[in-house]
Amino acid sequence: MNTFDSIIIGAGPAGLKAADTLANFNRKVLLIDTDAKIGGKLNLWDRLFPDFSSSQELLNQLSKNINNENVTLKLNTNIISIKNNDNHWMATDSNGNTFYATTMIIATGFDVFDAHRKEEYGYGIYKNVITSVDLEKILSGEVSIETPSKVAFIQCVGSRDEKVGNNFCSKNCCICAVKQTIELKEKFPLTDIYCFYMDLRMFGQSYEELYRRSQQDYGVNFVRGRVSEISPTMDNKVVLKAEDTLLSRPLKLTADLVVLMVGMEASKGTKILGNQLNINNTDGFVKSTDRYLSDSETTLKGLFVTGTSKRQMSIPETMNDAVNAAVIVNNFLNTL
Amino acid sequence: MDKKNLILKKLDEDVRFHEALSACMNCGICTAICPAAEFYKYDPRAICNIVQMGNVDEIEDLLKSDTIWYCGQCMSCKTRCPRGNTPGMLITVLRKVSQELGYFTESEKGRQQFAIEQIVGKNIVNFGYCVHPDIVEPFMHPEQGPVWKWFRKNIESVAPRFGAVYHQEKAGALRKVDDNSIDEIRRIFEVSGGNELFDTIEKFSEQKASEYHQNADHDYLMKVYTDNSGEHSK
Amino acid sequence: MHKRYWNNYQKEIAEDHYFYARSCIRQTFFSGSETAFLKMMTDELGKDIFDDSRQHTCTGIGYHSDIIPLETISTVIARLFSLMTEMGYENFVPSCITSFGILTEITELWHHRPDLLEKTRELLYKATKREFNVPKNIAHPCDIIYKFREDLKKNMKYQLVNKDTGEPLKIVEHIGCHYAKAFPDRGVGGAEFPHVLVGMIESWGGSVIDYPERRHCCGFGFRNYLVQANRGYSLSNSNKKLESMAPYEPDFIVANCPGCTMFLDRWQYTVAEMEGITYDKHGHGIPVLTYEEMAGLLLGYNPWELGLQIHQIQCEPLLDKIGIAYSPEDKYKDAYGKQLFPPQKPNNLIV
Repeated sequence: MNTFDSIIIGAGPAGLKAADTLANFNRKVLLIDTDAKIGGKLNLWDRLFPDFSSSQELLNQLSKNINNENVTLKLNTNIISIKNNDNHWMATDSNGNTFYATTMIIATGFDVFDAHRKEEYGYGIYKNVITSVDLEKILSGEVSIETPSKVAFIQCVGSRDEKVGNNFCSKNCCICAVKQTIELKEKFPLTDIYCFYMDLRMFGQSYEELYRRSQQDYGVNFVRGRVSEISPTMDNKVVLKAEDTLLSRPLKLTADLVVLMVGMEASKGTKILGNQLNINNTDGFVKSTDRYLSDSETTLKGLFVTGTSKRQMSIPETMNDAVNAAVIVNNFLNTL
Repeated sequence: MDKKNLILKKLDEDVRFHEALSACMNCGICTAICPAAEFYKYDPRAICNIVQMGNVDEIEDLLKSDTIWYCGQCMSCKTRCPRGNTPGMLITVLRKVSQELGYFTESEKGRQQFAIEQIVGKNIVNFGYCVHPDIVEPFMHPEQGPVWKWFRKNIESVAPRFGAVYHQEKAGALRKVDDNSIDEIRRIFEVSGGNELFDTIEKFSEQKASEYHQNADHDYLMKVYTDNSGEHSK
Repeated sequence: MHKRYWNNYQKEIAEDHYFYARSCIRQTFFSGSETAFLKMMTDELGKDIFDDSRQHTCTGIGYHSDIIPLETISTVIARLFSLMTEMGYENFVPSCITSFGILTEITELWHHRPDLLEKTRELLYKATKREFNVPKNIAHPCDIIYKFREDLKKNMKYQLVNKDTGEPLKIVEHIGCHYAKAFPDRGVGGAEFPHVLVGMIESWGGSVIDYPERRHCCGFGFRNYLVQANRGYSLSNSNKKLESMAPYEPDFIVANCPGCTMFLDRWQYTVAEMEGITYDKHGHGIPVLTYEEMAGLLLGYNPWELGLQIHQIQCEPLLDKIGIAYSPEDKYKDAYGKQLFPPQKPNNLIV
């Protein structure tokens, strides 16, 4: 009855890499995504930190890798329920179609924090307040703007913030901002850039070096203080209020453009499926059985999880995690 | 109990202390929009940090300082804190302890509590209001301007034009609060610690006044009401 | 893109049967506003609202200037609740924003700490033999006017429109800090984009100015005004707001807090006298109204019964702009029709 060895829900970097790896083990895979194209959130970024490699090239490679007879791709398919029946996993979409497999992998990923929720930053109200995702379109040249004289980056928008119900650190925004400040400086060398942060968490390989380059070679200013509010000015700029906590003084900065470094929340799909199967944490992300020893497994037999549906990860971390999940799934299938 | 333990115990006993500060990550979002931080050498984030660090000597210095008396209690800090803290409420608790231990008379701003107790406190228990036209004296309030002077002078015949019942014992604006209600308010102050706090403020102010060879009377009140060393604003 | 989250903050506001608690500051400086509010409630809206002669201060100004213990303010408020309970009401309407904030904070505390509610009951009983119910609904009068703004509009004779140009008046709305900054879900529209005055302004024909210091405190700062030595704080913070709004050329300021209304009015006078600066082009200053005065004017109430002559910034230029009829010779008459000698003119501010 099982048409597939595994159904992977979500065709972002995690789902694509897991599908590719399982296909190499000669497993039959159904890769499903609600979007009209593959790539998930990778499509939102132009270049990747910390090496400025092209996200499109990476996506092209991932796409090529799944282009084989073992992988069936179904786009525009919104899975609304997952069930297990007598060791069959069933996924049903919003049109009532049901797909069957021996195993299932949740790769439904994250959603970008909706910046409208931080009302005090005026996103959607003041046109020169944009998100880090909006900025990518400017960096890629898809959207053009006039040379700004001052740009402010604000860290931790939707992260480390009890007010929006997200106590977690989204972990990628710090380095992403460093990447974006450098790209912006390359595009607009005369623009002054200020980056407001609480802690700069340069945890990854060559992140710290990139942070240093942004200061040393590009003159980006880093200010330790969380921005409290943004208001409009008469001349269509915005003014930010923060404390320079290293000087112990409040400060105001007038900027032409503000970039909100939006965090990573469990995606709507992750929350729905996690809830339905009762395998999510209080923050909405799916819980693996054991972070150290069995990080791809869930408490349900034959159901696996990978990538940012578990927690915030960078792209390389996501893809390594997907390889890991595929190996675990293949081992599981071998035991049957 | 030694003084150090007493300070910590007094902070801990106040229900508002725990509500006001659980864990601060020193982000400065409160100081960013604090009206007092704009005007004074004042940083609510730094105060949270001192209290959080728990060094009693530093807390004691704080309780004796002008610093805790700068906050204007607008509570703008509460709206923004990403950790759900309320620095403005922490200030309330620090001020309470400063008064109970008599530390408030050690600073110019702290000593002003005597004037507030005498003016607002006495007004509440005598008339049933915090503010009333009879106590907003033009000479103490030049900023109220000539219109206020005019209103005060003609209040008996003008106030009824606005529907007020000035000094009358019936429902309406500016009414006289009846004796029974005033008695009840006084008894509430007696049983709930209100009078005790007034007495404490008066007792320590009396001690301080004697250092200036004064009594805690009108002269001392006017001194603390107007003393401004000019060292406060930035 | 104009997705505003204030829609999420739609507080519950009782329909009818209110117990009214007067404000120390509002009745002192704007007693006509409290009278007008009661008149709107009964005459315009046909609501039942009770004004008890035995009511008193909530002690909030004393509390925020640190001379009143938490136990004392809780018990004083409990006495007000006891009057409400005794008169058969459940919906408490405090005229003051500081009171509103205090009531919200203390009822919230009682909710989380029932032992403190019990303690308050004991203290009140010990002091007065009184008992009380916690109100079902606590709403500020501005919430109620907001709720019934369309009903009031039906009776209005004027709109917030410049009669010569037909353009909406440009209005600065100022929300008292204690309305929603501490408990955003208790204010209409929350703390960041409070909608309570915006809703009135927009439905009555005006437009709202968004300016850099829109959310900044008026500068009251309790002990920072109560003690003369500290008033630099209060003046500087008002000044900062006024400077920030001045380039937008507001026709007037409206506030929901009586303290803010008074300070923004008086400090304009002070700055004019000290520095020769006014925040409008003509030297009159920017009129500052209570929301009751704004509503009352549009309903055609007599400006001199609303008490606009006891603002230091005079309102005639604004009345002329809207086209509101008024009698200049009645301005300084007393309640019995006797013409009084007018107030002294300031040196700089034009009145």
